Amino acid sequence: MDRDLLRQAVSYHGQSLFSLLKCEQSENPDFKQVALDLSKSVNQRDKDDDSPVVEQFIARKADLLFAPSWKTTKPVEDEWQEDLREPFAVMPPLEQFMEASYEERREHFYRDVERGDIVIGRITSIRDFGFFVVLLCTAGDFERDVEDLEISGLCPIRDVPSTGNHDDPLSYYQIGDLIRAGVKDIDRYHEKLTISLYSSSLAPNLDRIKLGVISKEDLPLHYIRGEKVANDSSETYERLLDSSLGFSNPANVDVLIGKLGINDTQSTSLMRGLQSKHFMEDDFASAIRKKQSASWALKCVKLGVDHFKSGRHVEAMNEYNKALEIDTNNVEALVARGALYATKGSLMKAIDDFELALESCPTHRNAKKYLCQTLVERGGQLEEEEKLVTAESLYKKAISLDETFQEAEEALRKLQMRIQKTLKLKAEEASKEKEKQPTVETSAEKLRKILKEEKRLKKKRRRSDSSSVSSSDSDCSSVDSSPSSSRKKSKKRKHKRRRSSHGSKKHKKRVSSRDNRTPEEPQEEEEDEFPLPVNISASFINEKHTLAKLLSEEPEAEDRLKSGGKSREDSRGRFEDDPFELAQSSKTQGQHNGPGVNGRGRETEKQRWKSDDGHGSRKDSSSSSHRDFSRSRKDSSSSAHSEHSRKSDRPSRDDSAQSSYRGRPEVSEYERRDKADHRNSRGSNGNERRLSSGDRSRPSEESHKKALPANLLDIFNQIAEFEKEKKQKK
Amino acid sequence: MQAQRFAPVAESSHSEGRSGAESAALVDNNTKTHFRVCRFIIETGVKLGMRSVPVATACSLYHKFFQSATLDVYEPYLVAMSCIYLAGKVEEQHLRTRDIINVCHRYFHPGSDPMELNGKFWELRDSVVQCELLILRQLNFQVSFEHPHKYLLHYLLSVRNLLNRHAWSRTPIAETAWALLKDSYHGPVCVRHRPQHLALTALYLALHTYGVQVPRGEREWWQVLCEDITRAQIESIMTELLHLYDLEAKCT
Repeated sequence: MDRDLLRQAVSYHGQSLFSLLKCEQSENPDFKQVALDLSKSVNQRDKDDDSPVVEQFIARKADLLFAPSWKTTKPVEDEWQEDLREPFAVMPPLEQFMEASYEERREHFYRDVERGDIVIGRITSIRDFGFFVVLLCTAGDFERDVEDLEISGLCPIRDVPSTGNHDDPLSYYQIGDLIRAGVKDIDRYHEKLTISLYSSSLAPNLDRIKLGVISKEDLPLHYIRGEKVANDSSETYERLLDSSLGFSNPANVDVLIGKLGINDTQSTSLMRGLQSKHFMEDDFASAIRKKQSASWALKCVKLGVDHFKSGRHVEAMNEYNKALEIDTNNVEALVARGALYATKGSLMKAIDDFELALESCPTHRNAKKYLCQTLVERGGQLEEEEKLVTAESLYKKAISLDETFQEAEEALRKLQMRIQKTLKLKAEEASKEKEKQPTVETSAEKLRKILKEEKRLKKKRRRSDSSSVSSSDSDCSSVDSSPSSSRKKSKKRKHKRRRSSHGSKKHKKRVSSRDNRTPEEPQEEEEDEFPLPVNISASFINEKHTLAKLLSEEPEAEDRLKSGGKSREDSRGRFEDDPFELAQSSKTQGQHNGPGVNGRGRETEKQRWKSDDGHGSRKDSSSSSHRDFSRSRKDSSSSAHSEHSRKSDRPSRDDSAQSSYRGRPEVSEYERRDKADHRNSRGSNGNERRLSSGDRSRPSEESHKKALPANLLDIFNQIAEFEKEKKQKK
Repeated sequence: MQAQRFAPVAESSHSEGRSGAESAALVDNNTKTHFRVCRFIIETGVKLGMRSVPVATACSLYHKFFQSATLDVYEPYLVAMSCIYLAGKVEEQHLRTRDIINVCHRYFHPGSDPMELNGKFWELRDSVVQCELLILRQLNFQVSFEHPHKYLLHYLLSVRNLLNRHAWSRTPIAETAWALLKDSYHGPVCVRHRPQHLALTALYLALHTYGVQVPRGEREWWQVLCEDITRAQIESIMTELLHLYDLEAKCT
């Protein structure tokens, strides 16, 4: 029994209670210990109300009321926060309604305020050692009416947090500011209060609250309500309570129970019969329900088993499912259903059911037995499906469950032997496969082989008449090198073109190019004037190769170009070349058909990548082609947008636009298609155009082809002239 | 139905004559019956895991029903079961009839096996549901009550602020007041007074029991909390409440 409590009660009620207690609690051993102490503290209290009934009640229930276990509420130590949603009605301090006297309230305040409480006040004066605050109200859980008590607190300067810059921290505050601070120290005798603006001064459950200057909106609700009451004397507690929003909240009971720490589910009662110790766990609804469900489910299972034995599997399954609905994880139902599944052949489901049953009841004999059988059967199935490792694991599991299960062990042995055999077989096969490997081929590879062979043949042919390679061709070869690098797929067309191809110069070119780039053999075959092949998948693969080569080639090509004219260098340097400049530079290079040449160059670029173009001749202008390459490189690496923008850069040039359209090298078919879509949407160069251009291109092709040798000749002539001039100047 | 157990009660009420003393005894018997049935409701509430407010609703429904009905016509335990069921619906803590029947069955046959899903079970269930409808009609469908619980909780909060926090934490005021309030549902006192008064009385008694000194100003704290109550009223309610504890001794 709580001595202090008893003492308090007895001293409050007086001797009469004590005598009653002695009478009622005579058998209580706890009371006897306390009785002696109590007798000393009893004094005849001058009570204005004598309530023997109450005293009788207290005396009778003293063993409950003063038992230490009676105090079940736990002080709720969660984070305190001003709950703006008002789950319950927040009322002003009762003191305000009670009109308690000034002295009493002051006295009570100083008695009850503790370190760590929150107070709100207004700054009255600022000195160099701190500022003084007169309290308006309290906050947190400690609610008192202190406004008119003229309680002042001092916040010393060391408890004022600095504002970051090196100014005087006090300069941030002004007289009249509302301050929320924590109580740091109390001198109860001298009635002095020291406050602090640091969160460390607060109690742990309050330390989230921001201290410092606050505005009127941050004032606690109980204070605001209190002001309303002070102004309107007709406002009573009752009316205020009923009108509060929080009072109408249906859940306020639960919230407040939590806040006060009352236990609502346990039976707290002062009635003898309702003490919690009298309640048996088995009498509770949940326990009875479980038992009941189990027995109801069992009935269904029995029915189901009857059906099963008579062969009515469907009805049996229905009964089992019904049983499991009534009582999920009912062991008997699971085992019976598992057996049914196993009989029907759904072994996996059976295994699941058995395992679930064994989880709830690991010692169920039937479950174990059936599970072993089913595992072995499943293992057999897996063996037939060649899933030997899984089968093995199943057998092992079955054995681990039930060591005496003969079948499982036998099956395991057989399986292990089989596994060894298969391993051997596999080893043999693997070695065979290595031999066989080269025979596996794709059509692309076959094609490549054919081409390679052709190349070899041609090489032999050409090498025979390669003696007439001229130095002047080196330029041309450099011209060739870069374009040809990107052309990997001109196989079929190459054939055609070669047949219809042009003069020895081309051969020479080819030869020289080949000579220059012997390491890059596969590309030798691809030349400017050969048209693109039909789009086959192999070509698709090769595109990537060519791109890589393009990228690797670019510096090479550049180097070669440096040997060329200045214009070339200029043009090369600028990746974002203006088409006009390109045209001009190309013109300076001696290409008479500036746009056309460019167009062609781009066309040929395109041809490499596109399927339906029948364009043949690759471009001669190294710079333009290089630019194309650089462009192509950029294109391939950039998104369709940039390509669009580039396209938009050349609106004026019909041909070039058209050809730039097509001249965009594409990394993938998809991009190509995208571009086709973009082009279509752009409208400027529609499909029709492409088609028409395709039509046009063919004749132009021919003309180009025919023109090419002419162009080349021109270039050579021009170069020769240039050199002559140089010599002349010198 | 479980008529066997209550046959003695019904018999006694019929067999006795109509003299004054015997009618007093009759009244007393009825009171005892009601007490027992309310005890039954509260116990069942605990076993069903009901919160305090739904239990209070169930008891209030029961008391109100028997304000206008008589015990010799209606089987009180059945009415009680239906009150529990209805209260669960009203206070949004829905209970299954199966659980109610299970707990009640076990109350009357302690230690027995749960009921089988047989005809008797279904009949019982039907009875509960029918009786619920009966109660609704008897009460004119006015089944929502203002309970003293939320008043008590708010009062507790306000009074807590008046007291020193240490005094509060060492004195089980909240538990006692809450227990007193819950126990008040054993008798019709719960429906005869305003919820504010009941809550106030419970708190007053709790504070009084432990001898807690609450500061007073011009007015007492209880005068502030509830304008229209007098000390005499508080005391009369208190007496009624305490009488219930005495009744317990007689009934059980």
